[in-house]
Amino acid sequence: MSALSGWWGVLFWGTVVTLKVFGVALLLTVAFGLLGATAKLSKNRIAVALANFYTVVFRGTPELLVLLIVYYGSAVTLTSIAQSINPAVKFLDIPPFWAGALGISLVVGSYVTETFRGAFLGVDPGHVEAARALGLSNLQTFIHIRIPQMWRLALPAFGNNMFSVVKDTALVSLLGLEEVVFAADVARSVTLKPFATYSVVAMIYLAITTVLTLSVMALEKYANRHLEGAR
Amino acid sequence: MTFDLYLIIGSLPKMFEGIGLTLQLLFLSAFIGLILAVILLLMRLSLRWYLSIPAFLYTYVFRGTPMLIQIFVIYYGLPQFKSIQQSVLWPILREPFGCMVIALSLNTGAYVAEILRGGVLGVDKGLHEAGKALALTTSQRFIYITAPIAVRITLPAYSNDVISLLKATALASTVTLMDVTGVARTIVAKTFAPYEIFISAAIIYLVLTWLIQTGFGLFEKRMSRYVKQ
Repeated sequence: MSALSGWWGVLFWGTVVTLKVFGVALLLTVAFGLLGATAKLSKNRIAVALANFYTVVFRGTPELLVLLIVYYGSAVTLTSIAQSINPAVKFLDIPPFWAGALGISLVVGSYVTETFRGAFLGVDPGHVEAARALGLSNLQTFIHIRIPQMWRLALPAFGNNMFSVVKDTALVSLLGLEEVVFAADVARSVTLKPFATYSVVAMIYLAITTVLTLSVMALEKYANRHLEGAR
Repeated sequence: MTFDLYLIIGSLPKMFEGIGLTLQLLFLSAFIGLILAVILLLMRLSLRWYLSIPAFLYTYVFRGTPMLIQIFVIYYGLPQFKSIQQSVLWPILREPFGCMVIALSLNTGAYVAEILRGGVLGVDKGLHEAGKALALTTSQRFIYITAPIAVRITLPAYSNDVISLLKATALASTVTLMDVTGVARTIVAKTFAPYEIFISAAIIYLVLTWLIQTGFGLFEKRMSRYVKQ
């Protein structure tokens, strides 16, 4: 471990950037998942078709390719738009941080769509009818009846989806974001100790996933507390 | 900015060459990964702690870390050691292809082991007891009763894992291999036409995914033929 002395700070700040990407990507993932699930369960045929197209495409395309399309695609589009306004512009892109978070959340969001769809279907239709009978609006039913019941059902599968988000953050280094894997690349090329460097990064990721596993377990226990007596 | 169709048609032959490498990576690692998964499964189900705990730790580490890091540890990390360079594995580890197959196999083995474990635990206990009543030994019960049923139960999850594996082969481009993604990245670096090339590559992956899904669907139908009657 002494081989890495002097690099711990770099790796630490890289980890902070990784966690930031994770946070943003997770929020966007939940948003895409909710949108996708709502669209899939709606009666609007166009919305259903769009959501089906979304899940088929993003579940069948490698994460790396999605990131590359989002980042380089947006760079080409933005540059050509900017050049049509001001020909002096050479290059314009979405920062790798945002392109990465968006790409990851598009991919994992397609999986979360299915997770959430299943969870929404698991909510007793009688409760929704009762809400209607009480005069609650669609939005009120969604917020007060569906969401509080579905998140408990979605939790185990959503936990796995969260791990996918964590692990996909490593790919953002390939877009040039200076997160933990990028920091390790730099450290390895200077220290010439690639095994130790990448093992440390692996341990950092393992620590993040362990904390997440424990949180999901605690949340599951909290969500199912009303069932404890029944067992 | 225009969408250049000729560029897509012109680069398709090169992309098709990439499919060969992608499929080689997929089949080799799926095969080795499956063998590894069965070994891990048997260790995991064993009542001996010195077998089950290492298997648990293995799956925990490989499922808890990004594939990219696993590739880098093997590709950049292992050659650092003199003992590796003198071992019999060196001809494999010297090549990026060998490293990639090893990394993919180790990774998918961990996931498939968990899938198989779910399948084995899902087999009805009554069948087991029936086997015991018929005086079958433990290994006979596993081979003739548990395994065939577990295979059927695990097929849908296993097909999803093969698709994940296909998607993971795209990381081969990070260690200089010319798979579909690798070819696409090289062409984009030359032409800077990301939409045309990357979307064509994505379509290739979608077709491969569809083929895998359909293939497994047919196999599942065959395995479940006794249930339908």
